Amino acid sequence: MKTESHPILEIDHITKSFGKNTILSDVSLSIQKGEIKVIIGPSGGGKSTFLQTINFLVMPDKGTISLAGHTVNPSNKRGLCTHRRQVGMIFQEFNLFDHLTALANVEIGMVKVLGMKKTAATDRAMAELERVGLKDQANQYPAQLSGGQKQRVSIARALAMDPMVMLLDEPTSALDPELIGEVQSVIRDLGKGGMTMIMATHQIGFARSLADEIIFMEKGRIVEQGTPKVLLADGAATRTRDFCSRIAEIGGE
Amino acid sequence: MDEFLYIQNEVMPALMQGSWISILLIIPSALFGVCMGVLSATLRIYGHPVVKFLGDAYVLLFRGFPLLIQLYIWYFGLPRMGIYLSPYWASVVAFALCSGAYQSEYIRGALLSIKQGQIAAARSIGFTQFQTVVYVVLPQALRRALPGCGNEIIYLIKYSSLAYMVTCIELTGQGKILASASFKYVEVFSIVGVVYLLLVSLATWLLNTLEKRFTIPGFEQHRA
Repeated sequence: MKTESHPILEIDHITKSFGKNTILSDVSLSIQKGEIKVIIGPSGGGKSTFLQTINFLVMPDKGTISLAGHTVNPSNKRGLCTHRRQVGMIFQEFNLFDHLTALANVEIGMVKVLGMKKTAATDRAMAELERVGLKDQANQYPAQLSGGQKQRVSIARALAMDPMVMLLDEPTSALDPELIGEVQSVIRDLGKGGMTMIMATHQIGFARSLADEIIFMEKGRIVEQGTPKVLLADGAATRTRDFCSRIAEIGGE
Repeated sequence: MDEFLYIQNEVMPALMQGSWISILLIIPSALFGVCMGVLSATLRIYGHPVVKFLGDAYVLLFRGFPLLIQLYIWYFGLPRMGIYLSPYWASVVAFALCSGAYQSEYIRGALLSIKQGQIAAARSIGFTQFQTVVYVVLPQALRRALPGCGNEIIYLIKYSSLAYMVTCIELTGQGKILASASFKYVEVFSIVGVVYLLLVSLATWLLNTLEKRFTIPGFEQHRA
């Protein structure tokens, strides 16, 4: 369907080691505009590191990353900052700036990085907060918000930078069960709005309903890759299905 | 009655003048010391290895040399190299640089306490390292460093008395002169001590006010 066009993000043969530990070995992935890919797999399998290498929060040892046809040069600091602001990142631990209100958290990137006027940035920030359902919490500080609210603010903060791709690193893993839903529904809306996303998660049900493609990562490699229908079909003899059924037993999903 | 007149007519005017000199020593030394501390701590953590080495060397040197020796070098040593500092300026330079070295450690600790996650988040929206430090790390770290930095300022108020060793006659110097002339050591130095206590109380109050002013909602101290 979408495979004819050029991929918006292309990750080519990425390798990363910390000391003697190889965390990623020769990982490649390409994603079309509007596509949603969900990475699942055991902890320590390299999901998080993989996402972080995509926006160079972790520098890959080898391999290249291209965004919208433009290959990123890791030694060009200015270019890296440009690349990072075009790639939104959502963290498991939210990582809001604790000294700023929700509104200021969303605003600061637009003012300091994009050079927007304060009033324009405030308007846009309010719009993004409204989109994630937190208009009324704009003047609250992170310590006054619930986990789910913090994660939604962090999504608004990323969206305000107009990213071409969003990377979500287990966005609901640090949340109380009753708060997962509100964050999932924001992510679902993003997907419906056509946002290109790569998400690591342990919520198999969520992954199944959202993903265009599931990527199973283990020991730093992509082991399996395919649509949820194929990988998770009843009776499919895939590592993915095996892993998911084990998670389901523990998590009761 | 003699006692009272002596205190009123001789001790108080001299000590007032001495207190004024002390305050003029303390304020610029404290401000410059904090600036040196912020600058050196930031460079020691985020700077180029060469800058980091220079920062470490600064802290080692200025915490390592006794303050009195530093004062002597600034006042008696520099003229040998053709640089003449007045007693006042030699004292301010010595206090500020020494205080800065101690401040550097309080601030370094606070900088290290800011979670890496927030730094990653700042980088992920395109902040440069400099922007990350200035807009995300320092505003939080300075709040955390405030009690420690205040402690150093209070200590500075008292070690400013060393200035009289290089003939900058401040509060302690005036006290020494008065007491040597009248032999009323107990009376004079008790009053000198009380003046320092007042200065420290004032500084404590100011620092508490600052701390309250910059408290982040949700981080207040809740008392049971």
